[in-house]
Amino acid sequence: MGVLTVFVTTVLVTLLIHLVPGDPVQIMYAQSQGSTPEQIEEVRRNLGLDQPIYIQYVQYLGRLSEGDLGHTIRGGQPVLDVILQRLPNTIVLAIAAMAVAIAIGLPLGFFAAYYRGSLIDTGLMALAIAGISMPHFWLGLILLFFFAVELGWLPVSGSGPANLILPAVTLGLSNAAIFARLTRSSMIDVMNQDFVQTALAKGLPRTLVFRRHVLRAGLVPLITMMGLQFAFMMGGAIVVENIFSWNGVGRMAVEAIFQRDYPIIQGFILTFAVVVVCVSICLDALYALIDPRIRRAV
Amino acid sequence: MIPTPLKQTLAAALIASAAIPAYGADIVWARYGDIDSLDPHKATSTLSLQVWRLMYDSLLGTDATGAPVPHVAKSWTTNEAGTEYTFSLNEGVLCHDGTPLDANDVKYTVELALSEDSPSLTKASWGPITAVDVIDPLTVKFTLATPFVAMIPFLADGFSSIICDSNADAEGFGTDTAIGSGPWTLVSWTKGDKIVLAKNPDYKNFGRLAQNPGAPFEDGLIITVVPEPQARLAALKTGEVHIAEPPFDDVPALKESGELSITVAENTGQNVFWEFATSRLPFSDKRARLAVGHATDPALAIDLIYGDLSIPEACPVSRGVFGNDQEFCKQYRPDYDPDKAKALLAEMGYGPDNPLETTMVVWTGGNRQKLAEVFQAQLAEVNIEADIEIMDIGSMNARVRQENEKTEGKASMDMMTWSWYDPDILYALWHSPGAYRGYNTPELDKMLEDTRTLTDPAARKAKVQEVFKHLLENGVHIPLYTPGWEWVFAVRPEVEGFKVAPFVYPVFADVKLGG
Amino acid sequence: MSAPGGVTALRRPSLLLRLVSTPAGAIGLLIVLVLIGGAVLADFLAPFDPTKMGAGRRFQPPGGNHLLGTDEFGRDMFSRILHGARLTLLIGAVAVLISMTTGMLIGLAAAYARGWSEAVLMRGTDVLFSFTETLIALSCVAVLGPSLQNAVIAVGIAGIPFYARTCYSAALVERSKPYFEASIAAGAGHGRLIFLHLLPNVLPTMIVVATLGVSTAILAAAGLSFLGLGAQPPLPEWGYMLSGARDYFNRAPWLMTIPGLAIAMTVLGFNLLGDAIRTALDPAERQR
Repeated sequence: MGVLTVFVTTVLVTLLIHLVPGDPVQIMYAQSQGSTPEQIEEVRRNLGLDQPIYIQYVQYLGRLSEGDLGHTIRGGQPVLDVILQRLPNTIVLAIAAMAVAIAIGLPLGFFAAYYRGSLIDTGLMALAIAGISMPHFWLGLILLFFFAVELGWLPVSGSGPANLILPAVTLGLSNAAIFARLTRSSMIDVMNQDFVQTALAKGLPRTLVFRRHVLRAGLVPLITMMGLQFAFMMGGAIVVENIFSWNGVGRMAVEAIFQRDYPIIQGFILTFAVVVVCVSICLDALYALIDPRIRRAV
Repeated sequence: MIPTPLKQTLAAALIASAAIPAYGADIVWARYGDIDSLDPHKATSTLSLQVWRLMYDSLLGTDATGAPVPHVAKSWTTNEAGTEYTFSLNEGVLCHDGTPLDANDVKYTVELALSEDSPSLTKASWGPITAVDVIDPLTVKFTLATPFVAMIPFLADGFSSIICDSNADAEGFGTDTAIGSGPWTLVSWTKGDKIVLAKNPDYKNFGRLAQNPGAPFEDGLIITVVPEPQARLAALKTGEVHIAEPPFDDVPALKESGELSITVAENTGQNVFWEFATSRLPFSDKRARLAVGHATDPALAIDLIYGDLSIPEACPVSRGVFGNDQEFCKQYRPDYDPDKAKALLAEMGYGPDNPLETTMVVWTGGNRQKLAEVFQAQLAEVNIEADIEIMDIGSMNARVRQENEKTEGKASMDMMTWSWYDPDILYALWHSPGAYRGYNTPELDKMLEDTRTLTDPAARKAKVQEVFKHLLENGVHIPLYTPGWEWVFAVRPEVEGFKVAPFVYPVFADVKLGG
Repeated sequence: MSAPGGVTALRRPSLLLRLVSTPAGAIGLLIVLVLIGGAVLADFLAPFDPTKMGAGRRFQPPGGNHLLGTDEFGRDMFSRILHGARLTLLIGAVAVLISMTTGMLIGLAAAYARGWSEAVLMRGTDVLFSFTETLIALSCVAVLGPSLQNAVIAVGIAGIPFYARTCYSAALVERSKPYFEASIAAGAGHGRLIFLHLLPNVLPTMIVVATLGVSTAILAAAGLSFLGLGAQPPLPEWGYMLSGARDYFNRAPWLMTIPGLAIAMTVLGFNLLGDAIRTALDPAERQR
């Protein structure tokens, strides 16, 4: 599946430049006093755009295998460089946000399941739905203005650990709500299973049953969902990075869209896909490690 | 809400945990965006130019009005025909790697700029140079095919930064390394985040605007990227940043409180203007273009968005540039007069039931989209329906050119922005075929050619103003305001000696961070 | 009146009743109805032209003549929010329509055809799904260029994988039912099987999903406009308004608060309503 994803991405990325209405080279190569037809031809040749599309694809793959993602339109920097300098920031942000989401969402979801049907459950789930409905760009602005601008507690520039707090909280909070809902339904699924019902029927204390059986069994399916959640975090980072000046690939991508810097956009999409695939492979491994049933199956 | 002592403790804890480096003697300057390249031949943005200016020297400098003065070149002579320029260089200028900067470095730079395989993006502005000869280490001669008077002001601008020839052996020039001879040397560039510069202890200032004759006072200069204006303001207030562009709307309050001082760049040469796709109706008809000029009131728009930070401009090249004369230009620029605009449009058959439909292309950022919104409303008053499209300046340049190459389709106009040190920009824009393939006539071509070759300043000025008149009367290039981007600096009180040289080049060599 | 019609007539009020019987459902329905009302009647309710500059003093705080204050051009915020509601609902509806129809076609085709075309369609969908909607929408905007219309198309395309997957699972269930096998045996044509048997039976599920999907679509489109990649001025689109208000935060915080609240309330409304409809239709869900 991972290989397929990356393959499809390379095809899409090659096609991308052909889907642009108008002449992409004209659009791309116009930042100064004007370019000569020779320069335009030169760029076209450099990008291999004078070749048939399947040749372009093969050439693209060839360059990829050498780690060459082309050069940026603005400034002629190697795209791989530009992305690699920023990618760690985005991954750090996504992981931090994931941590926030789990730290908040998991306990809330667990409590809601534990007190299923009670006022606590209803209240928590109402909170979760409000959280899901909150536009994260708005939440981000409010946090930025309150904590960084008004109170001056947190720095606003750079990519240090303190700068991470606000974007991670913004991204984490929106997803904590999703985590809470997922946790709750996963726990409830487990609670409805026979072994839990039997344990309860045997008269074991509810707290004990929850701690020993429900929590452990309920967490396992959550791991499979984490891959997708991580991808969501990466997607969400695009907006959040722009609000908090976080120097990640998301902010880079939005800038590149405005600048029509297609090599960067292509590189970004490819990087995104590769990261998502790597994370899901890691999580599959983790899942197999935790759940012996899967391990046997594998 | 939160008791103050607790708040302070919390704040202290957060700041302590933040591990913010103690800046000490580093000046921190925050801007909305990053440079495109460290190579002065590979970008054209103001953001890039400002940084090159700090890292590199050029043969000439400018005085406070923007006029060229000696700098690395202590003097120059020309032959009668104006086709040969000989520069004698000052002794003792060192490149950042310790090698002396001499005529060979100048030759290396020009040859790079004009090279076949990877020329400078501003190649045309170097002029018709046919040869650069090293007469001796401190004398260099430029030979031109035809006279080109705009070369001297070009050699005072950041685009002509001297690239030391030791860069030829350096790995990753423009991306990771750059050897110049300017007051600041490159330490590192983290793309999208910050550029770290250190002072050049060997610096010699001959003609730069800084009063400081030698090395900068402070040890380092950190140029960070903070796109969000309110975030920059917050960083200024907490002291995280010393100098930055504030949100325009907060400037009056800042001035009032005295919390931060405001420095507004003068003689920026920045010109924001209307221009049109003249390849088809309606804007191939001069009446439609003039109607736009009469319909829009830059004074009101600026007042709403920038307050008193910007001013209307009447000439196609702005204050600080050769030939600019407000009184002269005002005679010809279509003035704000909606009734006249309506009358012109009515002549062409446009009215309330048949509005002129057009697309208005605008450069993103700097609140220009808000200005465009005001203009859009003003145009609606005279029955022009304009859709706004916002894009980056690079895409905008391409788009405008595409519009001019189309022969049919919806009308297109744009709020173009250019900053240049010489009226020669008008040659690039309006001499056929023109940077945007737009308006041109043989008559205008002739005038523009003359502006390049007239060596007598008075005669050149008269010719430049003739060009102004033609552009204004025909509604080709309708100036709106100046300055227009990256020209406002909020400065913390402990910063002394900060100034901005003409063409928006901030000067940090005089800056001292007081208590 | 025929019997099936009678059944529907009986069922309809009870669904509505079940919807409003929970506070969440009632609130959701109320929010959505108010929104629709505001959007439909915007021309009558709005006291000013939403794009008219100088309708009042600039930066007038909420209250008095201007219920929600005025913006940096003296435009009436209440009128802008009302007209913005119209835009927002339209954005949500069109985007969901794009995702749902295309997604359903893919899902139905895959579930019906089986074999290699099923594999290709659903594997492709899975790949796109793992890209997340934000990335797909962003890529589409990168190709199409920024405008509200393109943002809606982008969000619509971004939603396709999700609807395709949902429709596919629902259709598979339907396909395995005995009556379907019987129809095949009776010699029913492809068109009849897909459009008369599969489609009507997956439709209720899809409608529930779509109600929830409207909120996602609205959020995504507003996000694009916020980044400057969607609505262009002077459209009173909430995401764009929010983005433009940042500069005036110190002087006029309401310019940022109001559009943000409007988006949050709208999304909340559709989320609550969608949840409530799902619960009302699915008794198993209700037990949870």
